Parts: sequence; structure tokens; C-alpha cells
Amino acid sequence: MKLKNLAVLFTAGALAVSLAACSKNQPEGEGSSGSDGKYADPITIDVFDGLANFMGIKEGWFAKIVKDKFNMEMNIIAPNVAGQGDTLYNTRVAGGDLGDLVIMDKGQQLDELVEGGLLMDLSNDYADMTYANEFDAAVDKLNASYDGIYGLPTSVSHLKPTEPSEGEDPTFGPFLRWDYYAELGYPEIATLEDLLPILADMQAAHPTGDNGQPAYALSFFKDWDGNMMNNAKQPTCFYGYDELGFVLAKADGSDYQSIIDSDSEYVRTLKFFQKAQEMGLVDPESSTQNYDTLFTKYQNGQVLFSFWPWLGQSAYNTTEHLAQGKGFEIAPLEDMTVFSYGAEVYGGKQFIGIGSQAEDPERIADFIDWLYSPEGTNDSGSDTMSAPGPEGLTWEEGTDGPVLTDFGKKALLGSEAEVAAEWGGGIYEDGVSPLNVPVVLAIDENPETNYPYKYTFWPSYQAENTNPLLTDWQSQMGDVATTMDYLKAQDQLMVAPGASFVAPADSAEIETVRNQVKAQIVSYSWQMVFAPDQAGFDSLLTQMQSTVDGLGYQTVLEWDMANAKDQNAQRQAVAKEFG
Amino acid sequence: MVKAQRPSAAKRRESLRLFLYIVPFLALIFLFSYFPLYGWIYSFFDYKPALGLARSEFVGLQWFRLLVYSPAQLTQILQVLANTLGMSFIGIATSILPVAFALFLNEIKAKPFKNLIQTLTTLPNFISWVLVYMIAFSIFSSTGLVNSALSDWGFISTPIKFLDSDSYTWLKMAAWGVWKGVGWGAIMYLAAIASIDPTLYESARVDGAKRFQIMRHITLPHLIPTYLVLLMLSVANLLNNGMEQYYVFKNAFNLEHIQVLDLYVFTIGIGGGSLSMATVISMLKSIISVALLVAVNWLSRRLRGSSII
Amino acid sequence: MPTIDPPHSTAPLATGRLLRRRHHRLVSPGQVGFGLINYALFGLFALLCAYPFYYLIINSLSANDLSALGQVRLWPQGLHWDNYAEIFQLRGLSLAAVVSVLRTVIGTAATVLASAFLGFMFTQEKMWHRKLWYRLMIFTMYFNAGLIPMFITMKNLHLTNSFWVYILPAIVQPFNIILVKTYIESMPASLQEAAEVDGASTLQIFFRVILPNTTPILATVAIFSAVGQWNSFQDTLIYITDQKLYSLQYILYTYINQASSLAEAAQQAGGNLASVASAATKQTATSVRMTVAVVVVAPIIFVYPIFQRFFVKGIMLGAVKG
Repeated sequence: MKLKNLAVLFTAGALAVSLAACSKNQPEGEGSSGSDGKYADPITIDVFDGLANFMGIKEGWFAKIVKDKFNMEMNIIAPNVAGQGDTLYNTRVAGGDLGDLVIMDKGQQLDELVEGGLLMDLSNDYADMTYANEFDAAVDKLNASYDGIYGLPTSVSHLKPTEPSEGEDPTFGPFLRWDYYAELGYPEIATLEDLLPILADMQAAHPTGDNGQPAYALSFFKDWDGNMMNNAKQPTCFYGYDELGFVLAKADGSDYQSIIDSDSEYVRTLKFFQKAQEMGLVDPESSTQNYDTLFTKYQNGQVLFSFWPWLGQSAYNTTEHLAQGKGFEIAPLEDMTVFSYGAEVYGGKQFIGIGSQAEDPERIADFIDWLYSPEGTNDSGSDTMSAPGPEGLTWEEGTDGPVLTDFGKKALLGSEAEVAAEWGGGIYEDGVSPLNVPVVLAIDENPETNYPYKYTFWPSYQAENTNPLLTDWQSQMGDVATTMDYLKAQDQLMVAPGASFVAPADSAEIETVRNQVKAQIVSYSWQMVFAPDQAGFDSLLTQMQSTVDGLGYQTVLEWDMANAKDQNAQRQAVAKEFG
Repeated sequence: MVKAQRPSAAKRRESLRLFLYIVPFLALIFLFSYFPLYGWIYSFFDYKPALGLARSEFVGLQWFRLLVYSPAQLTQILQVLANTLGMSFIGIATSILPVAFALFLNEIKAKPFKNLIQTLTTLPNFISWVLVYMIAFSIFSSTGLVNSALSDWGFISTPIKFLDSDSYTWLKMAAWGVWKGVGWGAIMYLAAIASIDPTLYESARVDGAKRFQIMRHITLPHLIPTYLVLLMLSVANLLNNGMEQYYVFKNAFNLEHIQVLDLYVFTIGIGGGSLSMATVISMLKSIISVALLVAVNWLSRRLRGSSII
Repeated sequence: MPTIDPPHSTAPLATGRLLRRRHHRLVSPGQVGFGLINYALFGLFALLCAYPFYYLIINSLSANDLSALGQVRLWPQGLHWDNYAEIFQLRGLSLAAVVSVLRTVIGTAATVLASAFLGFMFTQEKMWHRKLWYRLMIFTMYFNAGLIPMFITMKNLHLTNSFWVYILPAIVQPFNIILVKTYIESMPASLQEAAEVDGASTLQIFFRVILPNTTPILATVAIFSAVGQWNSFQDTLIYITDQKLYSLQYILYTYINQASSLAEAAQQAGGNLASVASAATKQTATSVRMTVAVVVVAPIIFVYPIFQRFFVKGIMLGAVKG
């Protein structure tokens, strides 16, 4: 008996070695077939993933975990990487097989796929799951209109819908070069327009960036223009608004604006930009540069203001700059109430499903369930979502909550950390999950550690990671730890309850009209920003209003307005039910 | 041509035999070009690939109506058509440049220099428009090469707006097009020049012909047949300017004059993802192109006495 | 042995005019001036054409944060090779290069032969409904059926995930056929007539008379087709999921897209601050795009001169042989 076991072990070991020898970079692990021996034969599945930024079969530590657990390899098909819009999606669904594992948008796309028979009913598999069932409410809501379970929700959490989903920093905020602002003696800023003299002083004191090229308070880019000039929408979010088509809707449902109204927040921002432009505070290359160029300007200190923490800070707040006390921090406007996305109770924009042609749906379902487990959340939340990675490799339980290991610090905070062969080898960053989908949000609490998954929330991390810039900012702000803490303390945060609202798809007519109208709005908006004076601005505004009205703006507005009100109703409902 | 006579059986066999040679190729044309045209039927549906045609909704002429739904849109479309035709005609006018290029390059007798020129001038053809725009930005933006040089030398005090102004938009776009395409387009004419019998040149020289006379009376006439065929093909392409060039160069300030049909179509429909709308447009454009081709050919038969195709 | 008639209509007129002016001397000061201006203009234009490519080379070698600003214009600044090193580390690159070379060689050979043959056949006026077929073929230049019907057609023909999807649809190319036909029509008809008198069959005429005498235009077709095959990635994108059949262009194309979508994702998701520290060597969408352009165009520049040789051997060679 024992001998027989030994023999089995031996052959298994030999098999593992020979398998490892076949595929390069696949070091000998704990055994190449499923950890519990459940899956003897290896499979490769096609994953059609609307969020992935990688195409093909990925190697490294995450691939090894999946291989060890499920004896499975994933061939990622990524429309993002393929480019050309919906081309890949359209041709594949027309061919009747999207992929074995599908991560796509809910709403119209999910409806279509279910109706077209491209997804598998997971009712039986779902009953066998252990982790996904925790989010029953979201699953039910997602599948309410279908006869069966076809999709599982993503971005789920145990957070209340009235709590912000963002983490330490909101998505939007008036972030400026704090070191220059400090030189001016931290002047108070009553409202948006009061930024102008301050920005002018900052720019006058520092007319060039670190590279000697001219610096401007404001620099824009057009790459993300949609229903309106993207950059001009951002300051409206400082006052609790967010866009829904041509409507600016306040997070608490107290106000709805048509963007082109002369007294809308959007037009207010355009005016603000125009004034800044008249004062010479706007980069004249704004209308011709692309995002890459703009980002590089931020890196070189050529831009002094950022609408988003993740632009200014990620470009300029490098370790080196922070040590010198230089970088972007929020400088609060006294009257602001920053918009924040509440945690989505029914999950985020995407769903996970299994293709109707999948060969081994049980195994894929098993894998999906694992993605909802604490282990799966740690491992699959890619580094941009600040999930820490596998326990034992990048982090471990400490006396006061989880702590990053030395390797973890190097891998997550430094760069180019070589993973040990037993973990799969390769560079850590290259080995992260290619799925790039937040299944459980990293800010949710890990039931095994009682701290959020996201390592930037851990006391051990916060104690270690401080710098002159942050200290200075914190002391000015009344010794709060993070931007979010400050906004909460000042009651300057307006959370839009996370109702997982998906606006219904535009009808063909609405869509055609919208596309024409928005092209005009975007074009006029830019011209207004660069208008020579107030009179020029006003006449362009009038022209824009009459042009888009002629193109059918009102029709689209009514439709957007109705959607905005629906959205608010749903927000109120979840706030009531879960808040 | 012996039209009056009844074709003999042998002639008939000969004519069929010749036809049989091209049948395999006709089969390829049918398979890859004609058969897929069944997809044009999507124009009358609200086609959703996930559902298949059977379950997609039949909408009749809805998409065609959406093309012209309001007066404001009509004025837009007229402007778009003006841009399209304007730039197409400038393009046709400049299509003589590759001919001239080949004609004059042929006059360069130093072979290595000639080959070098020929290679270097094809390079722009291989650089995508996205990159062309990046280079254009580097040279013509307000801190670009030209503006910095001009202000350093004291010619200007405020930067010239090369990229973000609406002056001479058509001509600027045409200039970029010429720069990118002339060397490449000349290849065909250089090939045609290579077909000229050298004894023609020799006898002309013996006759004491000057260089310009040789160019005018021997080289040029050999390029004309190719030029005429290409000219006709480009007339049929009047509505197809492509969109990449205009897409990368467009901004809020030149939108009015840069928006060609292909770009406009991209903006209103396909960006939003309606496959049926895209089908309507490409079907209409195919039909118009073929109609133009037939018309030009007919015209040529009337004017020159011979059709081009 | 056929003698060569000058192309009808043009030559007699030309020589007639020339005869009248035989007293002019060959080289005059004006001629020298023309030559100089001609050299200078072409030299200048060639510089204008070469500079952008040079720009791409120096920028792909320069610090990426400098090049994104568009400030690198004359020589590389912050020289480094990371952009290239990164590309040559891409997985499956060598196999993809083999696929690309194969499709270019096979595809070009097929296109050139088919274009020559069809171009020749469409000059055969005796063919049954010749004009009809010719026109039906030309019309397809303007057809665009859309991607989905094309995809379904290819799938039904079992061409998806097959190497032949690169070759078969490319065989008949109307534009090239038109070029060849026009070229053959400008050749002296006596060439073919003489061969016919000798009793040569259609195929014999094609191989012995037409092919050797059309090398310049076939070289042109070869250039067009080779560049088209080499640069193509759209067909891989739509018809191929088997990684063994990826073309080089496709891998580079996805590499570009990946760089831009990763950059956007990293920044939108809050960013990993430390990873941005090495801005000078970190690949941006822009640096990737430029490097890829250099990598793709370089082989073309090296192969192109080989084709140029065919531009000077033309009808003369054929005439001597014929």
C-alpha cells in the first residue's frame, strides 16, 4: 500500500518534472495538476475579457497559481488590445463563440448574449459555489430578467452603498502643486474662480518646469472628449455633479442641469477656463497635444493644477520629488462638495459568465468562485488595484495587522522584483493577473485579517510611508491622514449611492442625434475656452446653443434627463435598503 | 474586327478556351468579393451580431432616413460634402505630381543618387498618420521647431497657429497628402518609363532633340495611359478620402473644414457602434463609386472614342 | 525575331517634330542649369521625406519623457536602447517573423503571377465576354461588404485559423491587374503576334514573351504586394486566434495597443506611484509606436533597392531574347 503510494508520488513527481521541462519558465512546483487532484487533464480556455490589457497566454506567478489549482491555462482575448472598437466582439459573436470565460459589460451586451444563446446557464454551478453566494443580492439583481443565472457580478463588496468606493483619494478634486501653494502662504480659496489669482501667482513664480520648458497652470487634452469637453466637466464634480449624457446630475438628486444652459456648472467651468486663458494660464498647446504629451508635461513639472489625483500625483509625486517636499495635494475650495462614487451594492459595470460552447464549465465555474474568495481577491486584484498579491510572497500576518514582506515592498513599491522559481519565476509585475477585473473590491475587508485587502490601508503601511510633502499637507489640514478623511471630516464629500445603475442603450435615432450634437458641443467648448474675451465667449455660447438645438439637442436631453431621474430613484432606493 | 461574319466554331472554341483560363480567378473574385455582399441586407435591419439576422429587428429604411433627419443636419452634410469634394479634387489635381516626379527623376543620370532619392522619397508612405501628426506637432506646435526658430530670430512675437487654425485647411491637408504619397505613387510611372525602348531615345538624340523635347515627346506620352486609368479610378473614389489623416489632424478649430465624409460617418455612427448604419454608408458609397466609374468610362468613350476599362 | 515598333501614335509624331529641330546642340548652359536645379530640388525633397524617419529613429533612442514632449529633433538625447530591447523580448516574435516572411514571399509570388497572367489574359480580345469580366473585377475595388459577412465567409470556407487566409484573398488584386494590363497594352503588339505566328500557345506566349518583358511593372506589383503583406495585421486580428499563426505586424500592433491601454488603466486606477519613477526609460504609447515604426520600416528599406534593379531592365532585354 505504502509502496504503491510512493510509486504514484514518484510518477507524479516525474510527470511534473517532465512537464516543467517542456514548458520553459515553468519551475518545479508543488505538483502540476490540480492541488486536490480534482483536475487531471490540463486545459486551455479562451477568455474574452473586455477589461484585459494583455493578449495571449500569460506566464508568471498568477498563471502558476491557476495552473496548480485548476490545471488550467488562460488564453486572453482582449478587445482593448485588439483595438478597433467592437470589431473583435462583433465578429466572434457572429461566429457563435465568444470564449469559454467571458468578462463583458452588463446591460445591453449581457442581454444580447443571453438572448443569442452565447452564455451558459450557471444555475447548477452557482448552487455549488461557496464564495460567490455571499453576494446573492447582486447576483439576483443582475439576473432578475433572465430565466436562469447567466452572469455573476464584479466589483462587489460588503461596503454600504453610501460609503465611498475610491479609497484614500476621491476620483476628482482640486489638486495643485502644494509646494508652490505653500510658498504663497496657503491662501484661502473660497470658490473655483478664486483659484485664478492663486494659479497666476504660482505660474508667475515658476514660469518654467523642471526641464526649462514653459509651465502653465492649466493644460488640457482632447483625447477623452465625449458628450462634452471632458476637462471642463471635471470641476463640476468638485460641486457634487457628474455627467449622464447631456445632463449634470447632483449626487444627492437635488439638481439636474442641461450642460448648455448659460448658468450651468459646465458653462461656469468653460468661463473659468476662458478667464484663465485670457490671463495666460492655459497651455496654448492644449488643443493639439495628446494625453501622452500632457502626462509628460506633468512629469516635468510643466503643469501646476490637476483635476484628478491620479493624473498629477501619479505623474509628479515620485519618491524623489516627495522626499524634496514637492508634489500635488488637494487644496480645498471652501464651498466644494466633491463627488464620490459610492460602493456599488449590485456590482460594477462588468459581469463574468461562461460561454455556451465551453468544454469544462464545472472547472471554469470553480475558478470563478475562487475569484470571490479572500485568496482569489488577494491574488487576482492586479497591482493597479492595490491588492497585495499572494500571502507568504508579498505579505504576511503581523502582530498589528498584515505587513508587506521585504519582497512585497520591492515588488509593489519599487520595481522589477524577481519572483522565486517556486512561486513561478519572472518579474512580479509581469506576472499579475491578466484578467484585470476587480471581482471583490480591494477596499473590502478581508475576513481573514480583518483589514482591507488594499495594502495602502494597512496601519503598517501608513506608518512607514510618509514624506515631507504629506506631513506638511497633513499639518495644514488639521492632522488628517488622507484626502478622504479630510473631506469626510469637513463634510465636503457627496457620495452618490452605488446603485449599479446602467442607463438603457440609446435608440438608433437618439444615438445619431447625440453623436452629431456632441461633436458640436465639444468643438464649441474648445473655441469658447480660447475665445479672446468675454464677448467672444458669449457669442460662441449663443451660437452653440442654437446650433445644437437645431440638431435635436432637446430630444436627447429629455431622454438623458429621464435616465438621470431613474438613476437617482435607484440611488435613493439602495441608500434606503442597504444604507 | 470582323463583325459581319458569323463566328466560326473554331473561333468560338478559342474564345471559350481563353475564358476557361480565368475561371479559377473569377471564382476567387466571387468568393471573396461578391458573395460577402449578402451582408448589405443588414442595412434594412437593426442588426445585432449576437442575435443573428433572424432575431434582429427589420427596420426598413430607418437608417437611410436618419442620414437626413433635420435641416440643421442637412447644412452640416452639405459642408461635409463640400469638404469631401474639395479635397478630392485637390487630390486629383495633385495626382499629376507623381508623373512629374518620375519624369524629372528620370533625368537624373547618376544612378546611385537616383536610387537613393527613390528610396528616401517612399519613406513617408510607411509612416502612419498617427506618427505623422506627432512629427507635425513637434515641428508646428506653438513651442515647435518652426515657431521657436521664428521667434528666436525675431520674426514673430506670438506663435503662428499652424495646427489649430482653420485657414487653408484643405490645402494643408493636400500638402501632407502629397508629401506622403508622391514618391510612392511615382513607382508605377518609373516602371512605365523602364518600358520605353532605348532606341527611341538614341534616335531622338541623333536627331538632335533637346532634353525637354525628349521628355515631352517620348517619356511623357508613355506615362499617359497609366495616368488616365489611375485618374479614372480616383474619380470613382471622390467620396472616399479615408479618415485617418483627417482624424489625427482635426481639432475644435479646424473641424468645420476638415470633416470629410469618412470622418463624419465615423463621428456620427460607427463610433457609437451601429453596424447597420455602417453597412448603409458603405453600401451607398460602393454604389456611388461604381456609378461614377461607369459614368467616367462612358464619358471617355464619348470624348476620346475609347473606353478606359 | 520580331523587331520593335515604336508605340503607336506617339512616336512618329515625336520624331517628326524632332527632325525639324536637329540643328540644336545637345548640351547647352541651360541644360546644365536644369540639371543642377533638378538635383537640388530632388535632394531637398528627399531630405524632407527622410527627416521624419530620422526623427522616429532618434526619438525611439531618446529618453522617453523627452521625446513625448516633441523636443528631440536633431540628435538623440538621453540615449538608451530599452525601447528596442523591450520589443525584442516580446513573446513569439521570432515565429511571427517567420510567418510574416512566409506570407510576404508566398503571397507576393502568388499576386505577381496572378496579376501578370490576368493582366495578360484581359488583353486577349478574343476572350468570351472579356470586358464584362474585366469590369466585374474592377468593381470589386470599390466594394466593402463589412467585416462580419467576410468573417462568416472565411469561417465557412474553413479559412479562419489557417495560413491560407493570408494568401487566397490576396491573389486577385484589381489595381495590380490594371497596371499590368495597361503596361502590356503599351508594348508593341508585334511581340505577341510574332510568337503566335511561330505557333506558340497562350501559356507559352505568357511565359516566354509576356513575363520576361514586363519585369518593371511586375517589380512594381511585387513592391505593392510585398509591402501590403508585410504591413498587414487586420486579417490576423479578425481571422486568427492560433498564436502560431500570428504575424509580426499583429504582435507589434497589439504591443502598441497594450502600451496605450495599460498606461491609461494604470493612471485611471490610481497608479502605482513608484513605477512611474523611471520615466526616462518607461515605455509610453508614443515611444512604443515610434520604435515599432522603425522596426517595421527598416526591412522594407533594405529590400527595396533589390526591386529597383528591375526598373531598368525592361523591354530591351526581352527584345534581345525574343
